[in-house]
Amino acid sequence: MKLVIDESRCKGCNLCVLVCPYGIFREGTELNSRGVVSPVLDRPERCTNCRLQALYGRMLCGVCHMICPDQAIAWVEERPFEPHRVEVEF
Amino acid sequence: MIAPDWFREDRLPHIYCTGCGNGTVLNCTLAAVEEMGWERSETAFISGIGCSSRAPGYILADSLHTTHGRALAFATGVKMAKPDLNVVVFTGDGDLAAIGGNHFIHACRRNVDMTVVCMNNQIYGMTGGQGSPTTPLGAISTTTPYGASEPAFDLAELAVAAGANYVARWTSYHVKELTRAVTTGMQTPGLAFIEVRTQCPTNYGRHNKLRSVPAMIEHLRSHAMLVEKRDRLAREGRPIPEGTFTVGELVRRNRPAMGVKQ
Ligand SMILES: Cc1ncc(C[n+]2csc(CCOP(=O)(O)OP(=O)(O)O)c2C)c(N)n1
Ligand code: SF4
Ligand code: SF4
Ligand code: SF4
Ligand SMILES: [Mg+2]
Repeated sequence: MKLVIDESRCKGCNLCVLVCPYGIFREGTELNSRGVVSPVLDRPERCTNCRLQALYGRMLCGVCHMICPDQAIAWVEERPFEPHRVEVEF
Repeated sequence: MIAPDWFREDRLPHIYCTGCGNGTVLNCTLAAVEEMGWERSETAFISGIGCSSRAPGYILADSLHTTHGRALAFATGVKMAKPDLNVVVFTGDGDLAAIGGNHFIHACRRNVDMTVVCMNNQIYGMTGGQGSPTTPLGAISTTTPYGASEPAFDLAELAVAAGANYVARWTSYHVKELTRAVTTGMQTPGLAFIEVRTQCPTNYGRHNKLRSVPAMIEHLRSHAMLVEKRDRLAREGRPIPEGTFTVGELVRRNRPAMGVKQ
């Protein structure tokens, strides 16, 4: 699974930056086409959901997803053979 | 997105300001609805007027966006006419405790079987930041430019005193605990009241030295004290820090209730 921010919804409040225990969300610096500074993702493959959601068949952790007031965080299926970084168990 | 079956995705993004806690409370409430396994056709969402009260407009189910302060009166009517419906009320501190204060205490007294989620941002958000009955002492609002001088209502304690069967308080930071509390409230027959302290960065934070959204959340987090801890401090005769409020389950009981599903 792949973590994505839906930039058509995100308003750039940075609450996800505050809550992620892995520090995956980082405050952004650039305005997007909607005039919002959305956070950037730092090695999102470290998120427990990216690694284990499919295996466990349920949402793990998920606090960013719950606190995001704009329903902008989601996990999507990767396309087949999408380039992958090596996943590290922390 | 949480509970995708319950969101009206075509209405998103919603009107709430950047970092407004109302969106988080909506997530948690819908997660609880999903956990309950309710059918859309047997669930109704009811609200009054205010930013908080716009929440039902983003939910894919029947809803009533009623007059200011009257959400509980309409909800009581719905429950009396159709006790089989699951009724959830979204309300704000102004809606519930100022203009709607009487409906609040009487709905608790009657113990009407519904779940009331109050997004308490301690201000009239929608109309530009006037002080509400929950604005804390000393807080700056457009109607209290020198600091609020009236004591504030403790909504959760008020609901306990008025007779609600389930009362809990959390904040928009405590997403997991809040979801669990709303679920427990929905399972409890009678009136379940869940007060959620939320951030209004636009009309509260901006005037009270809490300009950024993370600063507001940090303020909520650091001033929340578990009921158990407060009780322990009181038992040991130790002082309870200034400005803290209790979070957790304040009451769960089984008084006679009205409009319970047969
Ligand atoms: C009868 C009536 N009086 C006054 C108003 C103006 N009014 C609209 S929203 C509001 C306050 C809302 O405060 P709250 O319930 O705390 O909601 P918030 O916007 O903070 O979520 C007021 C006074 C109104 N719409 N109707
Ligand atoms: S919490 Fe949601 S809206 Fe806020 S910055 Fe993160 S993704 Fe964007
Ligand atoms: S689910 Fe948890 S670990 Fe994964 S990005 Fe969100 S907050 Fe971070
Ligand atoms: S005015 Fe306050 S309560 Fe209303 S949407 Fe903006 S931040 Fe939220
Ligand atoms: Mg309010």
